Amino acid sequence: MMPTVSPVLRPSYLPPVELHRPNDLGELFACVAAGACPLAGGTDLVVWASQRGEPRQLAWTGGIDEWHIVDISGQQVRIGAAVPLSRIARSGELRSLISAVIEGASVVGSVQLRNQATLVGNVCTASPGGDTLPGLYVHDAMVDVVNAAGSRRSIKISEFICAPGKTNLAPGELVAGVTVRGLGPLEGSAFCRFTQRNALDLALASVAARVRFESDEQTVAQASIALGAVGPTVLDAGQAAALLVGRTLEPTQLRECANLAAECCQPITDHRASADYRRQLVRALTEEIVLAAAKQVTAGCASVEAS
Amino acid sequence: MKTQLTLRVNGAPRDVPLSFVGRRLLDTLRLELGLMGVKEGCGEGDCGACTVLIDGEPMCSCLLLTGVVEKCEITTIEGLPAAFLTRFSAICAEYGAVQCGYCTPGIAVMAAWLHAGGTELGDQPISKLFAGNLCRCTGYQQIIEALTALR
Repeated sequence: MMPTVSPVLRPSYLPPVELHRPNDLGELFACVAAGACPLAGGTDLVVWASQRGEPRQLAWTGGIDEWHIVDISGQQVRIGAAVPLSRIARSGELRSLISAVIEGASVVGSVQLRNQATLVGNVCTASPGGDTLPGLYVHDAMVDVVNAAGSRRSIKISEFICAPGKTNLAPGELVAGVTVRGLGPLEGSAFCRFTQRNALDLALASVAARVRFESDEQTVAQASIALGAVGPTVLDAGQAAALLVGRTLEPTQLRECANLAAECCQPITDHRASADYRRQLVRALTEEIVLAAAKQVTAGCASVEAS
Repeated sequence: MKTQLTLRVNGAPRDVPLSFVGRRLLDTLRLELGLMGVKEGCGEGDCGACTVLIDGEPMCSCLLLTGVVEKCEITTIEGLPAAFLTRFSAICAEYGAVQCGYCTPGIAVMAAWLHAGGTELGDQPISKLFAGNLCRCTGYQQIIEALTALR
């Protein structure tokens, strides 16, 4: 019998994508106005374009020089839209400033993917399980948005991402970068995710925490916790974090905080894990990550490494 | 008007028709330049069989559009130094690190990156650095042993 020909086109034989390569923001906005979709690292978009045939028109953002800048001024870090994850993950300077973001950036995909994928791309994809997102939430990330008229606005990341795969970006607007608040004195942050395999996998649950101590290095002055992959967007477990403030990180306090984090998350049951399992993960990860963030302070930021 | 796109592939300028600007680099390298050492596995950036070096950094050529790398130095397995490839093959043979060989070109390109001092922060183990190169028949143990010996 003759083998039947698969009706699915081989990716290689799809017609080429119409690729624009603008050299400045003006040209980029003109391409977008003409219907092109902005292309950063392309680790999602090129797969969609070559397998589903959509989108057919892309405008590469790598030609915008100012979007390649990582600017550190004092406690603030601004990361341009064209900066790949590997540049962030390999920076020793950033490691001590935005630990939770770095820990997320260094587990995305693989070496190859991190060389291509961008932090801003991860934000705009708005996946509930985006590995860099919980870290960005606890580092109070602001998304810098520009429009063709040149006006800019800054949106809190929790308001920018509104649903799975959905953001509050208006038509004609582009994300130029993200600005995050780095760690100050007596402050630490950490991120951890749970996956079935160690690479190229999506998190079943992930947690980021940020803790600032009073000058005694024992009493918590401020805390924030963000939960990934257990709700329609990354969730701010503010109530759970508030339980830690004014207290020391004794096992009972930690347990109470982790229980509340597990209660306030909204996991779903799917083919990868049950909702109950995800809740258990949140409980375990929260305890672990609050301690890891605290340890950064007590160990005197021992994780600073050469870039 | 420009009708050709000039890429720098394995140290030499190579002209391809301008229509390849919006094709995947993988297709340009294989279909237009005949560099069949670049393999297509998953076409989604998971398997690493299509790994090439872009300005010395490993990337998946199935996820890159050709126009994006016009100004970059592109290195495929065909462009790796002969001395390195000889040593890589000898070590693979010694450790039994090749069975069907489909994932091997991608692993060789990653190995060349590693050999040239490529790493990530915190001196990651080989198993972690090579997490983006899937093998379905040889077995990772032999591959990791060979790469450890090579390093």
